[in-house]
Amino acid sequence: MNGTSIWLMIIGVSLVSLLPRILPVALFSRFDFPKPFKRWLAFVAPAVLGALTALSVLAPEGAISISLNNRYIWAFLPTLLVAIKTKSLFYSLLVGIVITALLYNFV
Amino acid sequence: MQKHELQQGIKDSIPIILGYLPLGFAFGVLANEAGMSILQATTMSILCFTGAGQYVAIGIIQAGGAIFTVIMANILLNLRYSLFSTSLVPYLKGHVPTALGSLLSYGLTDETYAVAMNRYQEHAPTASYMAGLNLSAHLGWISSTLLGAVLGGYIGNTDRFGLDFALPAMYTCLLIFMLRDKSDVIVAISSAFFCLLIGYFMPAAMANMFNIIIATVIAASLGVLISERD
Repeated sequence: MNGTSIWLMIIGVSLVSLLPRILPVALFSRFDFPKPFKRWLAFVAPAVLGALTALSVLAPEGAISISLNNRYIWAFLPTLLVAIKTKSLFYSLLVGIVITALLYNFV
Repeated sequence: MQKHELQQGIKDSIPIILGYLPLGFAFGVLANEAGMSILQATTMSILCFTGAGQYVAIGIIQAGGAIFTVIMANILLNLRYSLFSTSLVPYLKGHVPTALGSLLSYGLTDETYAVAMNRYQEHAPTASYMAGLNLSAHLGWISSTLLGAVLGGYIGNTDRFGLDFALPAMYTCLLIFMLRDKSDVIVAISSAFFCLLIGYFMPAAMANMFNIIIATVIAASLGVLISERD
């Protein structure tokens, strides 16, 4: 791809990445969603987070890797415990990052 | 402008920025290797705030693919944000003016969505909070891209700092915060299960992250069926 094509590509990608983020808020804010749909939407966030957590831990490189060699699984378990116990994002991140670094450098 | 809300948004973006650091850095390095200039790589992170979409673009460019392919892949990859954005609407309504709310939603990513939704369970959204969170997360993404494109080979593998686990750790913790009752737990676990199952049987859905959309639709519908709350 030459310079001009790269710029065109950047503009194209920015359009298709911006529209799905901006349009729903811009278009749907004037409507009052029906109650059943609101109830459904309230479950979107926990569902998305469940999916994102699973993917980021069990498929860190884009392919599913459920094995003892996946160090993210080993870092996930203590992070989960700390998150439940302390309800602190700071301590959860600290534990997760330190354990991952230790596993990477020493195991 | 509410100063306190702005500061809270900036503060809440710190874990995101930590996680973006190695990712943006790697994007800068890869973009450079794929033949993009420092200016192009950085501009891409300014105009397209879509980590996975940018990685895919680099991959397609390196494989000699066409602009059309890059854009099609990005349409699929970014479609899930229309679902995220729609789910934000009931929260923003009455608190953030529509024009401002939709403009600031440009900064919607998996990470800012997770953090913001968590905040909105207890606090009403404000434009200042959205600005603080989304703009600083974006600034983190842009600066780490610039660093990667400039420093490239000097730092080498950043995995040894463990920062690659910053985002998984953040998701884990926010997930725990997000679970209010048993139906939430069932929704989250089934979404995780379906997401992996679909990804396993349809690698294409895994690549364009469509599995997140399908799993979310199934799990949220299940939530409506099992939950007794309003």
